[in-house]
Amino acid sequence: MLDRIVEKNELLELVDELSRERTIIGPVPREEHYFYEAVKNVRELDLGFNYCVYSPKAFLFPPTETLFRFEAQDGSFGATPVLEDRPQAFVGVHPCDINAIRLLDRAFSRDHADEHYLSRRGATFIIGIDCPKACIEGVFCVDMKSNNAEEGFDIMCYPLEDDGKGQVVYGVMFGTKAGREWILYHQAGRAPSVKDERDFKQYQRQKEQAFPRSIPYDVDTLPDLLERSYDSLLWEATARRCYSCGSCNLSCPTCYCFDVYDELDMTLTSGERKREWDGCQLPGFALVAGDHNFRGKAASRLRHRIYRKGKWVREREGISGCVGCARCDRACTAKISSIEIYNQLAEEV
Amino acid sequence: MKPKIAVFSLTSCEGCSLAILELENQLLDILGAVEIVNFREAMTERDCDIDIGFVDGAVSTPTDVEEIKEMREHCKALVAIGACACQGGINSLKNHQNEDDYRSYVYGDGAKHFPTIKAQPISAFVEVEYELPGCPMVKEEFLALVKAVLSGQQWALPQTSVCVECKKQGNLCLYEKGIICLGPVTLAGCGAICPTFGSKCEGCRGLASDEALQAASINLREQYDIPLENILADLRFYGAYQEKSLP
Ligand code: SF4
Ligand code: SF4
Ligand code: SF4
Ligand code: SF4
Repeated sequence: MLDRIVEKNELLELVDELSRERTIIGPVPREEHYFYEAVKNVRELDLGFNYCVYSPKAFLFPPTETLFRFEAQDGSFGATPVLEDRPQAFVGVHPCDINAIRLLDRAFSRDHADEHYLSRRGATFIIGIDCPKACIEGVFCVDMKSNNAEEGFDIMCYPLEDDGKGQVVYGVMFGTKAGREWILYHQAGRAPSVKDERDFKQYQRQKEQAFPRSIPYDVDTLPDLLERSYDSLLWEATARRCYSCGSCNLSCPTCYCFDVYDELDMTLTSGERKREWDGCQLPGFALVAGDHNFRGKAASRLRHRIYRKGKWVREREGISGCVGCARCDRACTAKISSIEIYNQLAEEV
Repeated sequence: MKPKIAVFSLTSCEGCSLAILELENQLLDILGAVEIVNFREAMTERDCDIDIGFVDGAVSTPTDVEEIKEMREHCKALVAIGACACQGGINSLKNHQNEDDYRSYVYGDGAKHFPTIKAQPISAFVEVEYELPGCPMVKEEFLALVKAVLSGQQWALPQTSVCVECKKQGNLCLYEKGIICLGPVTLAGCGAICPTFGSKCEGCRGLASDEALQAASINLREQYDIPLENILADLRFYGAYQEKSLP
């Protein structure tokens, strides 16, 4: 059910107004691709973007961030947490990335709540834009059941009509109270008519045909398939090409591993505790005391990554660890492809 | 007593020593924390030992060999800075050429007065505690190392490749534009400065690992149909690759 019908120009006007209170982050064209960037003027945004090279993850969980500042002097020690909660809005997030944010929300909330992530997340307003068709070749969001988002946005915009010249009519669904209030307070757009609801059904039917499938089985059976593939020769055969460069991890919207370190000031008595992105494909990821590396081989690291994405995260969080955006596949200069691996394993067993 | 630090050059452009001066904002702090001594004087005054000796340049002449050995004796910790000191650097290009040729085109008629040997990293002659690779070395790494040594903490180079830093910068990978970048095989630490400014990584910081080089030789052949020789030429430029075996 739709909650509202809003035209793109009106949406952009609202976003323009929103920019007085929030940093606006959205798809900006650069080098023949799109990137999420903070913009000064909403006209820099291109809401008709196909896909962004990276997800907006870096604005919730930056590549490097300070956790706290510390000072140790004359036997005393003090620490001041550094939390970032400047209001921001993501404008134009596709379902895969919204589903990835849902996963990050769960991962950073369970057990020990991560205040650094959660304070940014709490200050983030999300305007989703649905994909009527697969954004680029190679994505497999439909196979991962991630090409629709049920939650994780404040509002979601379905492009019901698009004249291809910039005039777009969105069917809008509210995801949160904040989203509802934002639209209704500004009395944006109009209430959906019976025809709009019919158009929306038609849109969804067309959408089902517009995502070619990449794996010939139901992804719910993937954990079992992986379970049986632990000793496959594929891991070794594929990983001989792996640089262990971590590009697949670092461009993945659901990877959330990090490493923690201290950076001292020149006084050597004060400094910052920081964290930075880490990745399970990097050679030192599983290095522990005594110089023991429990995943010292690229093959075991590759298997680990595929198990995380296809099995373990799903078993733990109840949602897929992979949203099928294919950013890992595109990022891999060795052309190691996770979707190919999922397919080859199915052929083996 | 403040720890004593000295900086010394062998065969190099001395760009790495200059990089230290570029730490403008932190330079005064460093000078407050350490005493900078003149290496030559330190070597004549026998009681004047040096806590950290930084050396840029390759060992490329018989005199270099003598000097690096003497430096080693006077330094508690010896740090090789820059591609030349860590890998032989650009100097090592001559290792792949005929000696008579390069001596005559560099020194002309005076060649006989300038004895020269194969350009090598200083670790080929003496034990080295730390290496700060790169052409030039990365000044932030220099600062981090000084702080670690002064505070008694451990310090180590990253084990990862330049791609890690490139991704953190949010760059469009150069492979998307059909450019063969050496980032996947090159040791991180430079902040991926070259790809960030649109140029391919040329491997100045040396190899990330032998495994990465092996992977490159397979991928170039199988996935890109490019002769390995093309990238070896690049890797030799800064001495990242000498003569390791390949599959
Ligand atoms: S594993 Fe690959 S396809 Fe899946 S979410 Fe991560 S980057 Fe996207
Ligand atoms: S991007 Fe490719 S080469 Fe790099 S670590 Fe991932 S699988 Fe290996
Ligand atoms: S541009 Fe080079 S360094 Fe950057 S990700 Fe691509 S291969 Fe790696
Ligand atoms: S990107 Fe490569 S060539 Fe450029 S500074 Fe870094 S290691 Fe050197």
